[in-house]
Order: sequence, then structure tokens, then C-alpha cells
Amino acid sequence: MKNTINIKIAGSAGEGIKSVGLMLSKSFLKASYFTFDYMEYPSLIRGGHNTYQANISLSPIWSQAKKIDILICLNKQGLKLHKDELKKDSLVIFDPETVLVEAEKPLEEKKPANNGLNLTIPLKKIATDAGGLPIMANLAGLGAVMFLTGMDIKYLFLVIEQNFSKKGQEMVEQNQKVAAFGFEFAERKYSEYKVDLQEASNKQEKILLTGNEAISLGAIAGGMKFYSAYPMTPATSILHYLASKAKEQGLVVKHAEDEISVINMALGASFAGVRVMTATSGGGFALMSEALGMAGIMELPIVIVEGMRSGPSSGMPTWHDQGDLNFVLYASQGEFPRMIISPGDVEENFYLTKQAFYFAEKYQLPVIILTDKYMAESLTTIKLPESVSENEKRSFSHEPVSPFERYKDSENGISLRTIPGQDKGVYLSNSYEHDLFGFATEEIEMRNLMVEKRLRKFETLKKEVCQIKQHVLGDPDAEIGIVSWGSNKGPIVEALKILEGKGTKASCLNLNVIWPFPEKQVVDYLSGKKFVIDIECNSTAQLAGLIRQHTGIEIKERLLKYDGRPFYPEEIVTKLAELN
Amino acid sequence: MQNKYTTPIKPTFCPGCGNFGIMQAMKDAFAQLNLPSEKIVISYDVGCNANMADFINTYGFHGLHGRSVPPAVGVKLANHKLTCLALIGDGGFYGEGAQHFLSLMRGNHDITVLVHDNQRYSLTTGQMSPTTPKGTITVSTPEGAIEEPINPLAVSLVNHCTFAARGFAGDVVHLQDLIVKGIEHKGFSLIEILQPCVIWNKERSYEWYRERVYKLENEGYAADNRQEALTKAQQQDKLAIGVFYKEEKKAYHQEVSSLDNGPLVEQAINRIDIGKLLEEFK
Repeated sequence: MKNTINIKIAGSAGEGIKSVGLMLSKSFLKASYFTFDYMEYPSLIRGGHNTYQANISLSPIWSQAKKIDILICLNKQGLKLHKDELKKDSLVIFDPETVLVEAEKPLEEKKPANNGLNLTIPLKKIATDAGGLPIMANLAGLGAVMFLTGMDIKYLFLVIEQNFSKKGQEMVEQNQKVAAFGFEFAERKYSEYKVDLQEASNKQEKILLTGNEAISLGAIAGGMKFYSAYPMTPATSILHYLASKAKEQGLVVKHAEDEISVINMALGASFAGVRVMTATSGGGFALMSEALGMAGIMELPIVIVEGMRSGPSSGMPTWHDQGDLNFVLYASQGEFPRMIISPGDVEENFYLTKQAFYFAEKYQLPVIILTDKYMAESLTTIKLPESVSENEKRSFSHEPVSPFERYKDSENGISLRTIPGQDKGVYLSNSYEHDLFGFATEEIEMRNLMVEKRLRKFETLKKEVCQIKQHVLGDPDAEIGIVSWGSNKGPIVEALKILEGKGTKASCLNLNVIWPFPEKQVVDYLSGKKFVIDIECNSTAQLAGLIRQHTGIEIKERLLKYDGRPFYPEEIVTKLAELN
Repeated sequence: MQNKYTTPIKPTFCPGCGNFGIMQAMKDAFAQLNLPSEKIVISYDVGCNANMADFINTYGFHGLHGRSVPPAVGVKLANHKLTCLALIGDGGFYGEGAQHFLSLMRGNHDITVLVHDNQRYSLTTGQMSPTTPKGTITVSTPEGAIEEPINPLAVSLVNHCTFAARGFAGDVVHLQDLIVKGIEHKGFSLIEILQPCVIWNKERSYEWYRERVYKLENEGYAADNRQEALTKAQQQDKLAIGVFYKEEKKAYHQEVSSLDNGPLVEQAINRIDIGKLLEEFK
């Protein structure tokens, strides 16, 4: 009996691969399974090859897997492109009418091919026979998958209802009928291929969402009121989600003319006292760099999401990369405190985004959430988070004395602020070096005082951050250690599971707060290890560089990937096996 | 009333600088409107004009070059009860930050933008700016500027500006009146200010302007017709000052439904329930 099943849907851009994939995944969610969904697509609106992969499991699952159990192919390229991902017993579903096979030898139905078993299903014909449109062929395919995985069709029916209820009951029923016809066709023709998937027993309430959705929810929960942005993959879906909820949640969501305006507007709103956020990718962040430093010297809170994609420059816009760590660490002229968070999974996206607002407001500085295409768009099933969040306002002056000393020196480096409209609190928020009131200064003593005050604030932040224990994944006593950061967590967790099954013990320190750099925790972790490897999705091992810079420890073994694809757990397992 | 808007810092403008007159007109306008210092936010550019940040006692945001308008918009959207102004120069608004000039004006954000137009980048020692006439010799154009100058009022008039005016730094009382009208106008108010720079633009002295300016209001001009305003804006021999065009239209924040119940900054965040949002992910 199987406890996981990996299903991939492949087709051309514009064929609705993403929406049909999500419906598939949601059907399993409703049946209490956990899923991890990963998508690949080119930077095109139509044409090009798209895939949606749902890795379904009885227990929590954190990454995609290489080998596919069921491939639904909606175009002919799919059969060629995914040949290597098939096993002998993989099921390959395609419509003989649309997928005209140009293989050297004709595919023999039902008989094992070199890779997988071909199950031809006339999806379009089924859709029209059921009274539907040819475009509903995808749903016939989903119906067939429901049968082949031993699922009750009612779960798919529920999802169809959720998806199409806005378009009317007739539409719901029509789609359900097409799905039912697909189910029945598979039952009639391919009953012996039914996969024996164990029934899900974890009835805990769950949700399925992308990293960007988790960030958006975390921001709303964290009291964000103002969001400004300019569209850029892979951050754009945050703008779409928040814009769709602005009215209901009482937010101002502003699509501004460019990223320069975005961050300047957000800082204006922050100055006026509301919690603000923006999200972009490396290119947009480059345009924000000057104002990033302004947030530093004005000491204004802001949360900036930087969703990395393959660079440099326009690079590969819809592909994954972790090449911007050094960029966000050092962006903008001069020296000022900043914080960099790199959530490892969807759950961390939610909770750390919420926390980012706390840190930004308390320490009055920019907090950067460094995420990436893989994290932003992949979906993960997590347990339902707490719906109520309590937020306390921090570092505000409630009884200011005029003239107000906005940048008053203090032991922890934090100065209380007032907001416009507040009596006796009038001050100048200044991008120039300034005195205690905010007036511009070039005097030696005041300059030194302000630089040192900002540095001291960073030291206070560092103390607080270092108290947050970084989680060590796997067996902490294992001699083999992995250091990594951000979204690599998922494939590493799955790799550790595979290794454990093979009797190899290993652990991983996956950093989710990178700056202030948690030196002590890194040193403590590394000192007990006989063997350490650094895993990153970039070509220069930027985290390993940072570790060496701050601890003097050089990690020589590296597994680096920069082809635009995230790690597959299997690749990590293979690399560790080579070294072991 | 005067001291209320004045900080202890002594102005550093060059003797004879147009900024003195503009600053006076601003303070007089605030006093005329009886605005408390703490209810005013001024967003400043980088440039000679922006050094006013140290001399005017209201909440201030002294930001980056060319960027004074976006923060003013951000402040207004966060708290629309405040009076928001942005100060900027011709280099900042029509050059470095021209995208904000084109975009935020269309949104009719309720802010008053005072453009100190002296046709030079003066703080950086006198290079040509977007309003410098073609052929002008400056330190960055030793053979004369090749570009034609932008006509800010004409551009504004075809770019949905709901309050377009021109003032003269040498006529403080008239300028004060324009600033009062600009603040009272609920929408994007552009006030182009002809400003002599006695150091880097010696051709256009106070006298040069006085010989050319005339007041629109003295001619029974109605300021309600874009075409007429455009004709006035394109006039070369004489320079009209006053309100060129004014139109009542909803301001941006009045069209944002989430602000119907009051300013964003007054909305509570102490307890937030996302239960309803979580439903759709089940």
C-alpha cells in the first residue's frame, strides 16, 4: 500500500494547468491528505510548456519529488519532456486525439512502455459526451485520476462546487458530470491499474496555500494597513491577493508607478504611523535601494519582501534562484541597521511575516523578507493557524514634550517617535544626518552620536534575535551536518527522511534569520560536526561566504544549483551518499 | 502667529534668494488658514528649496532627490485628516522624479505641490534643468543646452491636474493667496513658482520677471476652461500668474472604499481575526 502519490499535469500555457492542478490538490486536501504543489512555467502568457506537480502524502510533506506516479499529459511535448521522471509502473494519461504521438514506434495501449504505462483516455470526447465543452477535458482527466487513486469522487465534486459556484449551479453540475464521466471511463477500462493508496487518517483542520498567500495573511494578521507595490514575478500574487481583500480588511493597497514611488510612498505612510509593506523581486529591490537607506537613517519601520528569481538582470523571470543574499545584505549607500529574514516553509512565511512587523516597529528599521520563486508559488498543506492575532504598538511616544527629541539617545539605541497630528510631537524625519530633533547636521559630535546610536540599536536587536532558537532539522547528534537557508528547507527535510530510511543520520541548520547573523548558533552547530556541507541555490555559496566572514569557519563541501530549478530531495541524497 | 511655524534654525539661503519669499508666503498661508503646526506635513525634496525643512516648524519629511511627492501621497493615504504639501524643484519634479509628476497628478491625490522653478540645478552649482531654455550656456552645457524646455503647466493641463497655478517668488502676498487656494482645493494642486536664482541664473532676475508677469485675476479670467488655460500656459512674451485652471473632482482618498470609515491610522490593529480569510484555503 502506498502512502504517497506524486501526480504531474503537463500542458501548454493557456490551457489552465494551474487551476486544474489546484483542483486536483484540493480534492486530496478535502480527503485529509497533505500535499506539496510545485509549478514550472515560462515567462509567456500563451504557448510554452507548463507543469503542475502535486506530491500527495498521508503525513506532512515539504517538497516535490522527481519520480512521478501519474502523469497527465495535455500536449505532445509532455510525453518527451517528462520521460526521465517516469518509473516502470507510472501511469501516463493522455488523449490520443490531442496528443498525436510522434514516437519512433507507436505506443501500445496498456502494455508497459520503457517508461510508464500508457493509458489513453479520450478526454475531449468524454467532455462533449457529458454535454460539456471541449475545454472541460481537464476535468475528465481529474475524474479519471480520482478513480485511479481510489478516491471518492465526492471530494472532487466539493472542489468543483467551491470553484464554479459563482458561475451558477448549472455550471457546477456540468463540470461535475464531465468529471463523473472521466471517473467512469477509467473504472470501465483501467480498473486493474488502480493504485493502492492508503486512506488518510489525519483529520486535523488543514489549509493549502502558497508562500505568497502565507506572507499576505501574516501581514494582515501582523497589522499591516498600507501596501504599495509594482508587479514583478514572483512577488506579484501578493499584490493581487491583498488588493482583492483591501475593502473587506480595511487596507490601502496602491499599485504605484514604479518601485521608487512604491517605497517612498510606503515610508510616507509609515512616518504617518501605519504598518507598511511592499513586495518585489531583485530588479524592483534595486530601484528601492536608495530609499532603503532612507528608512535606515530616518529610523522608519517597513517590511520589504524580496522574492528572488534567476538573475542577473532580467535573467530567467519565472525561475528559481537564491542569488540575492549578498545584494539585500549590502544594498544602499552608507551603514545602517536592517534585518533579513528567510522563511523556510509556508508556516514560517506566515509566522515570520507577522513577526517582521514587530521587529520593524520596535526597532524602527527595514526588515527584509527574503523569499524566492519556489517558496512564493509552491503550495503546502499546513495545519490551520490561529485565526486571532494580538498586536501591540511599539516605540511610540505617548506624552511628547515640545520641542520633541525624536532621535534622543538611549541605552538600547531605540528612540521613541511621534506621528503627524500628534500635539507637541512635531519633528523632522530626515534623510540627512541630523540632530536629536531631526535638523540636518554635519557636526562631528552629533554625527558620531547618531551613527553609534543606530549601531547600538542593531546590537540590541541582535541580542533579541539570538535568543530565538534556530531549529535544527533531523537528528541533532548526527555527525553529518548541512547548513542552508530559506526555501531549501523543504527538499532537505524530505532528503533527511530518505536518508533516515537508508540508515544514514544527518541534520541541518536551516537559517531563517540571516541578519543580524546568528554567529553563536552557527558556531555551536558546526563545532559538533565531523562533516559539513553547504546547500544553496546560487553559484557562489553566498551563505558559506557569510559564515566564513563571521565565524572564520570555511565549509568546503558544497551542493550548489543555479539552473533555475529548486533542489529535489533525491539530489541531496545522492550528493550525501557520494561523500559518505 | 508667525513664530509658530518658525524653527530656531537660521535660514541659509543666499541673500536675495527666491526661497525667502516662498517660505514667507507658506507661513502666511498657514497662518491665514489657522492651521496648527502638528496638523501639517511637508515633504521636502533635495535642493536649495528643501533646506527649508530645517526652518519651518511643522511635521516634516526630508527625503530623497526627486521624491518628495510619493511620501506626501503616502502620508495622506495613511491619515487624510492632515494637510499635506510637497516642496520640490524643477530638476526634482520634471527631471529626476518626472514619473511621479505624470502619475500622481492623474490620481488627484489631495496634496499641494509647490515647485520652485529657477531653471537650474542650483545646489549642485548651476547645471541646466528640464525648464532651462534651449541654447542656455551652463556648466553642464558649455555650448548651450540642446533640449527644448518642458512646459510644466501645459503638461499638467493635459494630464488631469485639477488645480494648476503659477506664482512668483517676488510677489509674496499673491503667492500666499495661491497657496491658501491650493491647500483648500481637495485634490492635486500644482503651484509652479517662478523663482529667481541670483547666483546661477543671472539672466532671470526679479526685474526680468517683474517686466513680464501679469495677474490673471485682473483680467476677469475664469480658470474653468482647460483650452484657455493651455493658451495662457503657452504664452511666451508675457508670463501669467494666478490660477490657470481649477476643477472639482473626488480626491484619491475619497475613492478608496477602505477609508470611508476614517483615516487608516485610526483603524485598530490590536486584535485581528483572519478566520474568514483562512476559509478559502481549506
